[in-house]
Amino acid sequence: MSARDVLPGLMLLGLLALAPLVASNAALNFLLSSLIVALAAQGWNLLGGYAGQLSFGHAAFFGTGAYATAILQLRYGVNAWAGLAIGVALGALVGWAIGFLSFRARLRGSYFALVTLAFAEVLRILANAFDLTGGAAGLLIRMAPGAANLQFPSRATFLWLVLAVVAAVLLLTAWIAGGRLGARLVAVRENEDAARALGVDALRTKLGAIALSGAITAAAGCLYAQNFLYLDANIAYGTWISVEVLIACVLGGSGTVLGPVIGALALHGAGEAAKIALAGIAGPVPGIDLVLFGALLILAVAFLPQGVMGGLRRAARGLAR
Amino acid sequence: MTNPHVLRRALLGAGAGLLAMPAVLRAQPAAVKIGVLQPLTGALAQDGDLGRFGAEQAAAFINAQGGLSALGGAKVELVVADARSNPEAGAQEVEKLQGEGVVAIVGGFASPICLAASQAAARYDLPYVVDVGVADQITSRGLANTFRFAPGFGAVTTAAVDNLIRLNDGAGKPCKTVVLVHEDGLFGTGLARLMATELPKHGFEVLETIPHPTPARDMNNIALRLRSLRPDLLIPSSYYGEFVLLARTMRQQRIRPKGIYAVLNGAASNYRFVKEFPDAALGVMDCNHWQDPKNAEAIALKAAADTAGKFWGYNIPLNYSCVKLVADAVNRAGAADRAKVIQALAASDYSGHIMPYGPTRFVNGQNQGARPVNTQVQDGDIKVIFPAEVANAQPVFPIQG
Repeated sequence: MSARDVLPGLMLLGLLALAPLVASNAALNFLLSSLIVALAAQGWNLLGGYAGQLSFGHAAFFGTGAYATAILQLRYGVNAWAGLAIGVALGALVGWAIGFLSFRARLRGSYFALVTLAFAEVLRILANAFDLTGGAAGLLIRMAPGAANLQFPSRATFLWLVLAVVAAVLLLTAWIAGGRLGARLVAVRENEDAARALGVDALRTKLGAIALSGAITAAAGCLYAQNFLYLDANIAYGTWISVEVLIACVLGGSGTVLGPVIGALALHGAGEAAKIALAGIAGPVPGIDLVLFGALLILAVAFLPQGVMGGLRRAARGLAR
Repeated sequence: MTNPHVLRRALLGAGAGLLAMPAVLRAQPAAVKIGVLQPLTGALAQDGDLGRFGAEQAAAFINAQGGLSALGGAKVELVVADARSNPEAGAQEVEKLQGEGVVAIVGGFASPICLAASQAAARYDLPYVVDVGVADQITSRGLANTFRFAPGFGAVTTAAVDNLIRLNDGAGKPCKTVVLVHEDGLFGTGLARLMATELPKHGFEVLETIPHPTPARDMNNIALRLRSLRPDLLIPSSYYGEFVLLARTMRQQRIRPKGIYAVLNGAASNYRFVKEFPDAALGVMDCNHWQDPKNAEAIALKAAADTAGKFWGYNIPLNYSCVKLVADAVNRAGAADRAKVIQALAASDYSGHIMPYGPTRFVNGQNQGARPVNTQVQDGDIKVIFPAEVANAQPVFPIQG
């Protein structure tokens, strides 16, 4: 890991940490949602970007983290910080279990993607049916502002916490990418059979990637639960989060350290900007951000196959020449 | 060249005008902003649109009556926000409404949106009046800012069972066997469980409980099951699309129980269903929110909705009443001050609404007078058949003698 890999990212996050000085609460709220999606996307990036195992079902991890934090607090009186830690561990466990079942069965590519989607959907239906998860009524975490409860009276404090977690994962990703595990992940992504022939334990590598990916995305779920204090099956295990993390990574540049963060901020930022701009011209246009998501994805796939980060790198190379 | 006399006169006139300005300003006090949070896009957009229409009609009514009397005739200004049919967007819109400086928020429609949005509003001690959301959790959390004007799930289901028994007894107990068909979410499952325990205590036999997912695209299997079970009474608890499909499939297969008794149904109290599928809708009963059909203001509101080309639904009178309730609370508070408005709502005995509730009385945020009514589709219209003091028609029950 070199300073060049992480410095731009840390500088960006540092700048965002100053946002509470100028931004309104509504803007901070928006920034918080974007960063939580960015964190979940960082998790996806490890598995989908570095290890090349495309998942359509990261909601399975997001929801597990979110429900774990909520259920532990509500039903067992566990402290929210401990809930966060257990939620992250459970995310890793669910990741490992899904990985064990599907990688052992040698599922790859679109088959693996469909199986992850199926796991997330099964969890959604179960969460909707059982009393433990509050059924269709969902779970409401009691509002009790206080640092001990992982709830903060001011949005700024929560924003700083999320920024710190995103920064930590950024450093972790850069460290992995620069180390042995990163090399193994890329080897498996590029050609699994060749990697195995060279002595890489592909199953172990992939299981490590999916467990870590699950843990990071579960952390995003925990923070989401603590921020909104309300969960139901469609929020926690709904396809929306699976889709958003995927688009954020593709748009920002999957398999890059900073890509998911840039992608998530760009995606949400563009959606919000379009809503505000169009509302100024033609009155509110419902659903315009969703139209824009689709258009951005098409543009990214057509013109920036390696995302914003890939495009920037290409531009830098062009300038250097 | 300028005539000095003209100039002097103009200056005098302008001076007089300036002197008079404060009086003009006093005559037009700042408008009081009320937030209207509705799902205007997404799966619940139809309901959200009706809710917004009701709120807008109420604001227009209040302003036409001279605005808020205690605030020198200040006008009511609505700030409409789109909850996009999901609780997260609802909570985010609360932040925007807070930024706009609204004195209170009305709406939410779906229980999850109401739960998340009222909690977000609680951070700012911003009064939140729930329009529809029936989940009992909404008012059982002890949030001081949250008020529900309409009845909750517990009150509606208790009334539904009581009214069904009275209806059946009144007609000489024609129905003995029941089949419950319900969607597998919050309302359906909860209701089916309650019915399955309560009805046998009153002499009914529950033949079967049939759940179905939402969305469901085919009801043939359920209809076939009903044909073989031949229940006297069908109790469906589903959303709009699924119930319409079931009713139409039953019609096609000529399955005619002695009664269809819905509770909080998405279709049975919806004029779209009645207008588009009059045969399937005929005779269907529902226990749901409904306006006082004899209230002159409610009749005028319905006429306005018809003119605007809206299918009438309970969202309109509920949001209409909730906005009027908030406006009344601002009047009682004597200022657009949130803490005072919360106090005024908590102590409110408002009776200028158009629901069959009597004077408002909140206990822990729940309006104690709120109650559902029973409706029945008769002659292409939705009539209130129960309770008697509100009813504008007699029940047709059993449907086949």
